[in-house]
Amino acid sequence: MSQPRSSYAVGTGLFIVLGFAALAYLATQTSSVANVHQGDSYTLDTQFTNIGQLKERAPVKIAGVRVGQVKSITLTPGHEVADVKLSIDKTYDKIPQDSVATIFTSGLLGDQYVGIQYGSAKQVVAAGGTLSRTKSTEPLEEMLGKFFGAGSVVDNVGGSYMVKADFSNVGALSVGAPVKMAGVVIGSVQSVHADPVKLNAQVVLAIDKRYNAIPDDSSAAVFTSGLIGTQYVAIQPGGSPDALKDGDEMILTQSAMQLEDLIGKFLVNGSPNDKKDAGNGKSSDTPAGKH
Amino acid sequence: MTQPDRQPPDDSTLVRIRGLTTVLNGKTIFDALDLDIPRGKITAIMGPSGTGKTTLLKHITGQMRPDAGEIRVNGENVADMSREQLYKMREGIGYLFQNSALLTDFDVFENVAFPLRQHTQLPEVLIRNLVLLKLQAVGLRGAAGLMPNELSGGMARRVALARAIVFDPMLILYDEPFVGLDPVALNQVLKLIRTLNQTLGITSVLVAHELEAVKQIAEHVFLIANGKVVAQGDPKTIANDGSPWTRQFFGGEADGPVPFQYPAGDYAEALGFSGAAK
Amino acid sequence: MNVREPQRNNVVTQSLAQIGACGLFLVTLLAAIPRSFRYVRETIRQLWFVGAMSLTIIMVCGLFVGMVLMLQLYHVLSIFGGTSASGMVVALSVYRELGPVVTALLFAGRAGTSITAEIGLMRATDQIDAMEMMAVDPIAYVATPRFLAGLIAMPLLCCVFCAMAVLGGHLVGVTWLGIDNGTFWSNMTAEVDVHTDIVNGVLLKSLAFGAVVSLIAVFQGFTTPPTSEGVAYATTRTVVASSIAILALDFVLTAFLM
Repeated sequence: MSQPRSSYAVGTGLFIVLGFAALAYLATQTSSVANVHQGDSYTLDTQFTNIGQLKERAPVKIAGVRVGQVKSITLTPGHEVADVKLSIDKTYDKIPQDSVATIFTSGLLGDQYVGIQYGSAKQVVAAGGTLSRTKSTEPLEEMLGKFFGAGSVVDNVGGSYMVKADFSNVGALSVGAPVKMAGVVIGSVQSVHADPVKLNAQVVLAIDKRYNAIPDDSSAAVFTSGLIGTQYVAIQPGGSPDALKDGDEMILTQSAMQLEDLIGKFLVNGSPNDKKDAGNGKSSDTPAGKH
Repeated sequence: MTQPDRQPPDDSTLVRIRGLTTVLNGKTIFDALDLDIPRGKITAIMGPSGTGKTTLLKHITGQMRPDAGEIRVNGENVADMSREQLYKMREGIGYLFQNSALLTDFDVFENVAFPLRQHTQLPEVLIRNLVLLKLQAVGLRGAAGLMPNELSGGMARRVALARAIVFDPMLILYDEPFVGLDPVALNQVLKLIRTLNQTLGITSVLVAHELEAVKQIAEHVFLIANGKVVAQGDPKTIANDGSPWTRQFFGGEADGPVPFQYPAGDYAEALGFSGAAK
Repeated sequence: MNVREPQRNNVVTQSLAQIGACGLFLVTLLAAIPRSFRYVRETIRQLWFVGAMSLTIIMVCGLFVGMVLMLQLYHVLSIFGGTSASGMVVALSVYRELGPVVTALLFAGRAGTSITAEIGLMRATDQIDAMEMMAVDPIAYVATPRFLAGLIAMPLLCCVFCAMAVLGGHLVGVTWLGIDNGTFWSNMTAEVDVHTDIVNGVLLKSLAFGAVVSLIAVFQGFTTPPTSEGVAYATTRTVVASSIAILALDFVLTAFLM
């Protein structure tokens, strides 16, 4: 007679195997397990003054190759440095004692990782030993913040007075965008429209009455907060004894910069530690906050 | 085959029903019904549609519990049984459903083998032989490989019968076994019921309307109406006993104790002639 | 087995009665699990019908979901110059949401309806009563194996769905749109976490959905009036109730697991 039972069993078995194969594929090939070394590892202690966005299980790399992961991040009370334990694969047990552990960011927006640059000492750091030479993270926000002078505190704007400014290019500046001085919001953009005669953009800034002593030779610039944030107007105080009044026009302006050019130059020109002037030269002004 | 000898001594009654009372959805189906089914005979239960003949079978198998009264099958009260006891008892009862109720997932062979596979750990060879034996008995050994949807109504009923007897039960309940069969198939089923009863000594209870068929095989007939047994006896005497019930039922009159009209309010009133009615 | 249809008072009491009956039915089902161990073969057979027979639709749909997701994401992410992250976003959205939810919806449509219709028909043709008469517990033999099969099949199907979606994303992203193969995988492996995404997302959610869908399907099959209209009505209800339950449960699970 017919024996359907065995064929069902075989088919069902195949189905279960396929399902588990898919699970194994998901778990090992598309997840972070793919990055985790299953082999033996040893622990190294390091200390950083600032770990930025570093997380546990973040990769540890030598020459860009993953050799382990961050085991734990702790902060001892009373200390102002973070203790970071690195778990490193046993295969890589010849790390010189004077090697430098640095916190890097993968790409512009990526996660952070610990990179170890080999030193030249003959002595090898032992398991459980300490890498004393470390370089902490320089948060990208700080860098960019310095660079662009962006603040983020928004004040309530009370009574205000109007100041006009002409820009050759306002980028994506919109009505309502903040006006900042030294990174602090002091007003907002009242209107943006093109001047039919001068063929440029005329921006009306509403500035809080409290800030009534802004020198009339101050400059206005269109900046971007953060990398992909909104644009705002930054006011760079000048040295004139006379203050801006309602209806005045600001003469010195700096138009919106091409962010792509800027970052391109910035990244190509060297490490973040290079205090290099990266203004794009459209105006003689240096960007706000940069001295 | 696996039937232990459960017969209590000196008892010719296999199923004894006393004071059976059942109320379904507010309607009284049985009202203190008393009924004895003799061992080793073919008993027919007849009655107008809706008198609960199928319900009575369900009571005997314990699928429905009565509101009052007792049903003793082989001396044990079905109403008091636990699920395990019920299942144990049902292994000794065959039940032929009106629409055969073959499992559509399995072919004829597996349908007949189903009770064996569920309740025994017999080797495959033995199962095969037993199933073929039963299929041979109903004349369908050649149809073993067919699926239920390939069978005619009569064939399906015979397969169901083979399944019902695969455990050699002490009792078979037939729920309307002749409905929807052509004369040939009807006679085949009739012959099977009689053969099974005579050769294996299986007590048979059949619920049926077909007077001619029942007269041919039944040794005892119960006529049930209004929740009570209104007449009983062997088919010939009962047909001639002259009570209004038997006259209407066996004579096939449209009106009588079984009313033509379903109970309703005053007709004239329903038509809006309430004034005229008064 | 004779569950009477609840009184048609109004939608709320009716739904509540259904939910309550469904809960009680779940208890019956679970209580029958020890008794259904002897019907392991039946569970395997049901796993074949419920799981293996659903593979084709799950695989095809998974592939297309991955492909269309990649296409959409690529165009949105290209605005921010983040196309390299699209593989990762495909994987995360499929693992956490789309995989379990879409698989469960397809499962309800493909397997749930057939379970309901099959049980409904078995009741209509007295097969369930016949089992009772053959001393075979229909709950242990019919209901629980189907429930267990659904419970086992769903996570497996969901894994297959997710794997196919990632492959679909790879197909469109790498082969067609030209995302670098290494970038595609490295971004994915960097962000997908086994615990939060695969265990909590794929497995736990699909297990819960599998339980809910097969419970509803079996329940509807067992409680529907055993007539043609009853069965037709019950299959519709299976799809509607399952879909609502899946999406509502998804919200609850996401809130708890994230």
